[in-house]
Amino acid sequence: MKTITIDPITRLEGHGKISIFLDAKGDVANSYLQIPELRGFERFSQGRRAEDMPQITSRICGVCPVAHHFASTKALDAAFNVDPPSAAKKLRELMYCGYYIYDHILHFYYLGGPDFVVGPDAPAAKRNVLGVIEKAGIEIGKEVIKHRAYGQKITGILGGKATHPVCGLPGGVSKGLDKDEVKEIEKMGKSCVDFAKFSLKLFDDIVLKNKDYVDLILSDPYTLKTYNMGLVDKNNKVNFYDGKIRVTDQKGREHIKFDGKDYFKVINEHVEEWSYIKFTYLKDIGWKGFKDGKDSGIYRVGPLGRLNAADGMATPLADKEYKRFYETLGGKAVNTTLAFHWARLIELLYATERVMELIKDPEITSTKIRNPVGKPGEGIGVTEAARGTLIHHYKLDKNGLIDKANLIVATTNNAGAINMSIRDAAKGVIKKGKVNDGLLNKVEMAFRAYDPCFACATHTLPGGMPIEVNIYDNDKKLYKKLRRNL
Amino acid sequence: MKTIVLGVGNSILSDDGVGIHVANQLKQKINNPNITIDEALTGGMSLLDLLLGYDKAIIIDAVKIDNVEEGEVKRIPLSTFSTMHSCNPHDVSLSEAIQMAEKLGETRIPKEIIIIGIAMKKLPCVFGENLSEKIAMAVPKAIEMTLSEIRKDDLKFKLR
Repeated sequence: MKTITIDPITRLEGHGKISIFLDAKGDVANSYLQIPELRGFERFSQGRRAEDMPQITSRICGVCPVAHHFASTKALDAAFNVDPPSAAKKLRELMYCGYYIYDHILHFYYLGGPDFVVGPDAPAAKRNVLGVIEKAGIEIGKEVIKHRAYGQKITGILGGKATHPVCGLPGGVSKGLDKDEVKEIEKMGKSCVDFAKFSLKLFDDIVLKNKDYVDLILSDPYTLKTYNMGLVDKNNKVNFYDGKIRVTDQKGREHIKFDGKDYFKVINEHVEEWSYIKFTYLKDIGWKGFKDGKDSGIYRVGPLGRLNAADGMATPLADKEYKRFYETLGGKAVNTTLAFHWARLIELLYATERVMELIKDPEITSTKIRNPVGKPGEGIGVTEAARGTLIHHYKLDKNGLIDKANLIVATTNNAGAINMSIRDAAKGVIKKGKVNDGLLNKVEMAFRAYDPCFACATHTLPGGMPIEVNIYDNDKKLYKKLRRNL
Repeated sequence: MKTIVLGVGNSILSDDGVGIHVANQLKQKINNPNITIDEALTGGMSLLDLLLGYDKAIIIDAVKIDNVEEGEVKRIPLSTFSTMHSCNPHDVSLSEAIQMAEKLGETRIPKEIIIIGIAMKKLPCVFGENLSEKIAMAVPKAIEMTLSEIRKDDLKFKLR
C-alpha cells in the first residue's frame, strides 16, 4: 500500500524518530529524539518589512499561529518603541485566551487524553479521539466539538481569521469589538467555563479515582526534577500574554525572575551533533548533559512548567484547582511529567474565567486601540505559547526592515527534558536487552505529555502516530527496530 | 450544487505552498456563484470546518507518493488515502475528523472529497516563496485537472 501524506509537517524528515542506545548489560544508556526543524528562517526574514512579521511568523508552523503572532507583535511594540493602549492589550489577551481554549481542549480530548480516558494499555487503534467518544459518550463528544469551535470563534472575531490572525500591529490592534460581538463572546465564554469545570471533573472521575493511573503518574520513569519556567504577573500568578519570566527550582522556590528582554543573559543554547534543535539551559547553572536535579540547567516549560513557576492562578476557580493540584500531588514543585495533563485543564479553566473577566471590562469596547509608533530599533517579545515560553527577537534597520531575527520556540525550551523523559520511559520497559511490547506506548506517553510541536505528536488513522524506535547495542550496532504507521 | 476548491499548504515553505499557487491562479479564471475558491494552512478539524456545507470539495495540495515522479499530478479520492497525517501536528487527520463528525451526527460533510495531489520529493522544505522548477511546471496540470473535475458536475461550466 502506498503511503500518502498531505501535510507540511510530516513531509519533514525525522518525525518521531527515536534512537535508544543500550549499555553492555543491555539496559538503556541513552536515548535521543530527533525533532525536525525548519532551517533558514533568519535569512528568509532578512530585509522584510517588520510589520509583516506577525503574519509571516504565524505561518512558521500550523500549531501555534496565535502565539507566534503576538510574540511577534510584542517584539514590534518594543522595536518601534511604543506602548499599546490598555484596551489593545486587553483585546490581545482576550484573543489569546480563545486560542488557549481551543488548543488545550484539542490536546486533552484528542491527543493526550486518549492515553488516560481509554487507557495506556488499550490497543493503539482505540487510543484516539474516537475511542474517547466511545467511552465518554456521544453527547460529550458534541460538547468537545462545540467548545473547541467556541475557542476558535473567539479568536476569529478578534483576529480576523481563526487560525492565522491578522489583527496585531505594532502599538496595538487593527480591530476592536462592537456590542453584538461582546454579547456573542460572553455567551460562548460562559459556556466554556462550565465545560472546563466539567473537564476537570472528568479527569477526577477517570484518572484521579483510578489508583493504577495515580500510581503511574507518580512513578519514577515519569518523574523529572528540573527547573521550571513561565510568565507571571506582578503577583506571581500564571499569565499567558504578558509579565516577567520566572524560573523556580525543584522545590518550587524562585531561582530568578527577569524581563523577557534579558533572555540572552539567562538562557543559553547547547548544540548536539545529532539534532538540529538547540537545547536551551540556564546559563548560571550550566549545561551538564541530559541530567535533572539542581546542578543541571535544564528546565521545563508548558502547562506544568508554568504552574510550577508561579504561586497560583489569577482567577478564583482555577486558583482553587491549583491548590488542590499541589495538595494531591505532594506539594511544590510537581515533577511528574504526566501531571502536564491535569495542569493543562487547570489552565483551560483559567483561560475561560479570564475571557469572562475581560469581556465584562467596560474598556473592551474602547476605540482607542492603537498608539503611533516611534523610530525602528531592536525588540524582544515574549508570550506563553500553549506548549511553553516563546521568544521573538528582531533587529530592524533604519527603514524598519528586518536585519536580524532570532526565535526560541517552546519545544526547544522543552527539548532537553523531552529527551530525558523518553530515556526514562524506555528504561522502564527495556531490561537486559529484552524489549517489552509496551515500549512504543510508554515512550509515546512520555513525550506526548509535553504537547511538543513536531509531526509525531498527532494521532492518525488507523489509530496511532507515526513513530520509529531504533535500539542500538553497546557497539552502536542496530539491535532492534520498532515502527508504527510509517 | 455547491463546490469548494481549497488550496492547502504553507505559502512560505517553498514547494509546500503549491496548492496556494494553484488556488490563486484559479481565482483569476473562475467566477461562478456555485464555486468557492479559498486557501488554507491547516488540517484536520480546522480543514473540515472549511468544507462543511458544500456538496463537493476539491483539495489541492502537495503530496508524498512512493514511486511517483516529482511534479506529477494525481487525482486521489480522499477515501483511498492509506495514511494521512494532519497538516497540523496538534490536530487529528482530516479522515479522522470526518469519521468523528459522522459519528456525532454532522450532516454537512461534502459527499465527495477529491484531492488533487502534486507529488513532491524534496525534504525537508525550506523557507521561501517560490516554487522549484518541477513543481512550478505542475501548476498548469493541477489547474487543468481541477477544472475537469468541476466540468464533470457542471457540463455548462465556463471560464470567466
